[in-house]
Amino acid sequence: MIQVRNLTKFYGEKIGVLDIDFTVQQGEIVGLLGPNGSGKTTIMKMMAGHMPPSSGTVVVDGFDILAKPKEVTNRIGFLPEAPPLYPDMKAGEYLHFIAAIRGVARSARKARVERIMEMASVSQVRDRLIRNLSKGYKQRVGLAQAMISNPPILILDEPTVGLDPRQINEVRQLIAELGKERTVILSSHILAEVSLICRRLIILNKGRIAAMDTTENLASGVTDTGRFLLTVKGAPAETEQVLSSVSGISKFKPIQSAGQIKGGYCSFLVENEKNSEARELLSRALAGRGIPIIELRSLGMSLEDIFLQLTGD
Amino acid sequence: MLTILKKEIKAYFSTPFGFIFMGIFLLMSGIAFTTYNLMGRRADIYGMLGIMRTLSITAFPVLTMRLLAEERHMGTDQLLLTSRLSVVDIVVGKYLAALFVLFVTLLANSLYVAILFMYGEPTLGAILGSYAGFFLLGASFTAICIFASALTENQVTSAIAAFGMLFALVIIGSLSATVRLPVLKDLIRLLSVTNQFEELTRGIFRFGPLVYYLCFSVAFVFLTIKVVEKRRWSQAG
Repeated sequence: MIQVRNLTKFYGEKIGVLDIDFTVQQGEIVGLLGPNGSGKTTIMKMMAGHMPPSSGTVVVDGFDILAKPKEVTNRIGFLPEAPPLYPDMKAGEYLHFIAAIRGVARSARKARVERIMEMASVSQVRDRLIRNLSKGYKQRVGLAQAMISNPPILILDEPTVGLDPRQINEVRQLIAELGKERTVILSSHILAEVSLICRRLIILNKGRIAAMDTTENLASGVTDTGRFLLTVKGAPAETEQVLSSVSGISKFKPIQSAGQIKGGYCSFLVENEKNSEARELLSRALAGRGIPIIELRSLGMSLEDIFLQLTGD
Repeated sequence: MLTILKKEIKAYFSTPFGFIFMGIFLLMSGIAFTTYNLMGRRADIYGMLGIMRTLSITAFPVLTMRLLAEERHMGTDQLLLTSRLSVVDIVVGKYLAALFVLFVTLLANSLYVAILFMYGEPTLGAILGSYAGFFLLGASFTAICIFASALTENQVTSAIAAFGMLFALVIIGSLSATVRLPVLKDLIRLLSVTNQFEELTRGIFRFGPLVYYLCFSVAFVFLTIKVVEKRRWSQAG
């Protein structure tokens, strides 16, 4: 279990992060989300013992990072923003070295390195100098580095940066796999990514926590309206008339494309008050007028919208 | 500590640094050997190493410039600091790796001794003593240079700072002969690293210079450890 208590970091006069307070339970996958410069990296560096906080502390399994730094760092595998690699070493040699300094027993080292290289799919580049590797491979060697001593906690700062779509998928699966028995904290500024992997999100803005909840709660909690997409076969003017007559519909706007007009279709983006029976009433009203519904799809409030709402000014 | 030592020795010979150091050192000692021993027809190694003790201040910064500065530049220092290694392991491991390269270089240098034995009658004891003395002097130089490497994350800055410090020590050493003011004279004598070498290698083995060099090396390695430790807990970013 990780407790982050009143973590604060000043860069000179400037606030890096202020009064960050949260707890991560064992086996959780938590995502830190925020625009660039919101303090994700700063928080992660402090949690991993790479940077001393200005005030506040991090407690891991009862060990305070300021009092017992080694107890904490031995439990954490950290992938920083820029993977800490030795460019003059070969990938395999580098992982052996890391295994040695992270305390993997000599007899188990070889097997462990093999296993990790397989997991991070870097086996094919083991004999190449790290300086000659592509960004994607460097990132994966960095990921392997974080996992090498099999730590119960993984802190990954933007783990999928620089990977191609297929590799991103692989890494996501890997993280989900790892998250079954480990605590994983990862950061990203791509919302789609964290909402796929993480069960809980911490949204940061300007060095403070803007929101912290499960993905579902975040999606439902922020707004009191629902949205849906309506496509009908009929004249736009007539449909608008129906829309404005139905109670519970707060707003609507037409979305039109050339193809739809040609086929006699028209679409509307409709907002309704929550818990109203607007959709039911609407379908009855349209049927009464003889306008067939082609599509009626609930849109909900996307996480993207929530994110923008929380981090916007 | 052994892990770091092995890694650094490997790094010396998989990057140009080890070879550049050996190259510069052997080139300069070759010139010194030719002028002092071959052209001067002398069979002691002391004179050659005596020339080297000032010339070699250009070579030592090469040996140490990357040791700590590069780690910091690449962000790998944090990797080491958050591993199971202690700061002492890291710094001493790196220091010993540099000493190993110095040792190998002096070993290569012994080719000159073979030449002396072929054409003259040198005293083996004196030669070994001279080399041991030079190794101790080199250990002190290396300690100063590794300290310079801990101060910055730029390798060039670290090399220039190391060179500056060594140069100052050599200048102080050369002053010691001329300054006559009572307290200052002793102080300068105390700081003149290069002059202790003379005492040690003049053929008489004495504990004074030996202890002096050991203390000097330990002091600077200790300072290096403190610098690294301090930055670990006070760095801004």
